[in-house]
Amino acid sequence: MTTADTPTGTLDALPDSLKETLQNLDTPIEQIRFAVRSDVRSDGNYGEEWFVLTEAAIFTVTGEGEVLHYIPYKSVLGIRPEIVVDAGLLVLETEEGTVDLIRYSNGCASKFGFVARFIGDEVEFRNGKRDEAPIWDYKSEDHACKSCGLPLPDEFSPCPACTKKHKVMLRILSYIKPYRGRASLFIALIIVGTLISLVPQYFNRILIDDILQLNNLVTPPADTQLTWLAELFRRIQPATVALAIAIGTLLAAQIISSIFAIFQGRLAAWLTFRISANIRSHVYQHLHNLSIRFFDKRTTGTVISHITEDSERLQDFMLEGLSFLAVQVFLFFGIGGILFWMNWKLACFILIPIPIIVFGAGWFWKKVRSLWHRAWRRRSKLFDVVNDSVSGIRVVRAFGQQRGEVNRFADANIDARDYETNAEMIWATYYPPLMSAIQLGSLIVWYVGGLDVLTGTMSLGTLMTFHGYLMRFYEPMRYISPLINWASRSMTAAERLFEVIDSQPEQLDDGNLKAMPNITGEVKFHNVTFGYDSHKPVLRDINLHVQPGEMIGLVGHSGAGKSTLINLICRFYTPDSGQLDIDGEDIRQINLKDLRQQIGVVLQDPYLFSGTIAENIAYAHPDASMEDIITAAKAANAHEFIVKFPDGYDTEVGERGGSLSGGERQRVSIARAILHNPRILILDEATSSVDVETEKKIQQAIDRLVQNRTTFAIAHRLSTLRNADRLFVIEKGKGVECGSHEELMEQQGIYYKLVETQREAANIRAQAQAVER
Amino acid sequence: MRNENGVKQDTSTTNDTTKPESSESDDFTPRYLDAAQLTFTRSEVGTARLEIQDEVCHLRVVVRRLMPLSNPDGYISIAADEDTEIGIIANPSELTPRSQKILREELDKRYFTPTIQKVYRVKEQFGIHEWEVQTERGRITFSVRGLNQNIKQVPPARLFVVDVQGNRYDIPDYRELDAQSYLQIQRHL
Repeated sequence: MTTADTPTGTLDALPDSLKETLQNLDTPIEQIRFAVRSDVRSDGNYGEEWFVLTEAAIFTVTGEGEVLHYIPYKSVLGIRPEIVVDAGLLVLETEEGTVDLIRYSNGCASKFGFVARFIGDEVEFRNGKRDEAPIWDYKSEDHACKSCGLPLPDEFSPCPACTKKHKVMLRILSYIKPYRGRASLFIALIIVGTLISLVPQYFNRILIDDILQLNNLVTPPADTQLTWLAELFRRIQPATVALAIAIGTLLAAQIISSIFAIFQGRLAAWLTFRISANIRSHVYQHLHNLSIRFFDKRTTGTVISHITEDSERLQDFMLEGLSFLAVQVFLFFGIGGILFWMNWKLACFILIPIPIIVFGAGWFWKKVRSLWHRAWRRRSKLFDVVNDSVSGIRVVRAFGQQRGEVNRFADANIDARDYETNAEMIWATYYPPLMSAIQLGSLIVWYVGGLDVLTGTMSLGTLMTFHGYLMRFYEPMRYISPLINWASRSMTAAERLFEVIDSQPEQLDDGNLKAMPNITGEVKFHNVTFGYDSHKPVLRDINLHVQPGEMIGLVGHSGAGKSTLINLICRFYTPDSGQLDIDGEDIRQINLKDLRQQIGVVLQDPYLFSGTIAENIAYAHPDASMEDIITAAKAANAHEFIVKFPDGYDTEVGERGGSLSGGERQRVSIARAILHNPRILILDEATSSVDVETEKKIQQAIDRLVQNRTTFAIAHRLSTLRNADRLFVIEKGKGVECGSHEELMEQQGIYYKLVETQREAANIRAQAQAVER
Repeated sequence: MRNENGVKQDTSTTNDTTKPESSESDDFTPRYLDAAQLTFTRSEVGTARLEIQDEVCHLRVVVRRLMPLSNPDGYISIAADEDTEIGIIANPSELTPRSQKILREELDKRYFTPTIQKVYRVKEQFGIHEWEVQTERGRITFSVRGLNQNIKQVPPARLFVVDVQGNRYDIPDYRELDAQSYLQIQRHL
């Protein structure tokens, strides 16, 4: 028996203590080939248990060295991981019967999946069912950050720990770079504008202390004549003049400050929308270069929210939050400075309530926020109920369940009511005391400062001004907590956006890949194995050699792996093992742009983009001439219905092609494929879900389309495949039969059964003849 | 109530039409197995063997709960392999204690989902929450990403937590957790 190389260390290393125990057994263990550690014991508790393969046996052993199973390798007939709820179970088929070998949690699923595949292949090889010994190509599927070991969702994601928050901030700032001139102006405006806004308060002191207390009159010179000028001088007292000047200054300060605010706001808008539009388009552009695998792991909703919601959230924060934050921080230190400069002793007293305010407000906001969030969830659930029953109103009526629906709504309604009431009542209870706490500072100032005024060490104006500044000093503290939250949520949104940008893109046109602008369409699968999770192979050992221009019909039950095979040809994924060649060149080495330009796809539910019919036909070649478009439409049997539309080729197809019928959409998509003129054509259930008459038209169109192209066609209705040169039958991921219709019928295998069950066997030839006539 | 009557009726009909072959049932009436005729035993290699009196003996049966969430102890489907159902045991408590024990062990093997009994702490770092909990299968620490997507609530108060490796943990009723555990998870609800 020859066994493949099994490099130790790529799986788990059996601890020395266990090795020792095993060597001291009654029947000593031979050379250990590999061992795998499970985290669940056979009694179902967490713990340690080992699966060990030696040259002659498979056995399992507990972490303490107790051997649980000992099965001679010779007697093994098969092995499979059984998927149970939230865990795995390795099941062994032996000559003595089935053995439930070892249990493991999902964390170990990929290890054990690989081991099962490897041993299964080796057993088949030993029994002569397989030509080659399996290759040990284990790669761990746990994605972790290379520098810190944090688990990551997939190989594309950047590590959140290694992309620190301040770095995120820096990256956002890097988008500001192109506008640094305006950005600096913006900051300058904030600083100057805030300083000016502090002026009026200071004038309060001058007003109260200096001006409003000037009550001595200026006597006019006695020797001058009483002219109108002297009269005026007599009437205008210096105090009045000073008052006017002071008020004028205040007015000017107000006007200047509002002019600054105008510029500041306009500039903020200008900057923010440019920056967020840049981030958005950067993300979107990147999204289109990502591998299909990236989209497998995420729902369409998540991806869409990346581009819309996250960037919107970031934008809101930059527009309002960031300038608000900047102003508040500046105010805090600015006013703090002024207060200490005015009267440092009094200023010390105002610091007393700060901890109360900061912590109190922090606690308060946190509580209120979670309550509001819960209330909001209840409310959205209420809308769900409404949405659910209104959309299903016909079903509700048909089953006479109005009463039940009303009750369902009432329950959700009461739930929402209670949570909302609770949230508002908590707010009403805690907000007033919090505000009082803030007033505490002002009371202290009135008292301490008041004493000073009474003893004459401080002027009334100073006290008034001091108090005025104090209120603005406390202001930012009330909002510090929600503001921090707002900031951190925006940073998270930014992180998610950067996650897309940082994800590894598909190598579209790497210089190292081979340019193949003109392929002939030869496709060769050699022992190809592939699974979306590599421990659950969908395709196993596929071997298929397709000549240029050949049409292959892919046949098999749903879930057999037909669409997966096609995904590999499109190179949305690459094989886990084995090789897929196009024109004798490994598909991994071919320039993707070249490859995709020569592959055309017609799907079951063709996706049309909003735009005109002409635009959709010319999707892959926007510069196609009108003649080309018409030729394609004609060949696709689409021309005849397009001319009947009032707007002809300019007809808007609407979102997802909504204004066309299924058969019409299909023919437009065939025209699109014809114009694209691919070397390799893929038809995935192209004629299902249309009526017989339309199917005939589509079938005709397809017959024209497949001429001289390598074609892979999937169809459940086997009659559709009558033109196929060969049929390739896939059963549970394996290629089981391959040959022409006649050959396979003669074999009386799976294909034969499929044809029989469809009861279309008799129709196949008949229909073919009908079409030929 | 109505459900229970329906069950009884079905059981009686299957009893009347005693069919010799159980696995090849091509009528669409569910078959309810009579607990009195069933015996679970352990085979030498440790698999669950089911003998249906006067009928057949299955060497390894696959057991599945029909309502794993709402009624985990009733309505157990028994199959000869992944695809071939033998029948349904509506009320396993009617089995002999020995059979019940084996059935319970098999169910435990197929339904791993640990139940969280106590939450020691939930620590957040970089969007990944590390949970340290006590389950009936032992104490364990696991990581959960983005709590919103990975905690699923089944009304009224059942929670399923899914960790980064795809393991699922069950909290049957979070309101019944002890105060400290509740405090740890409450802010994530």
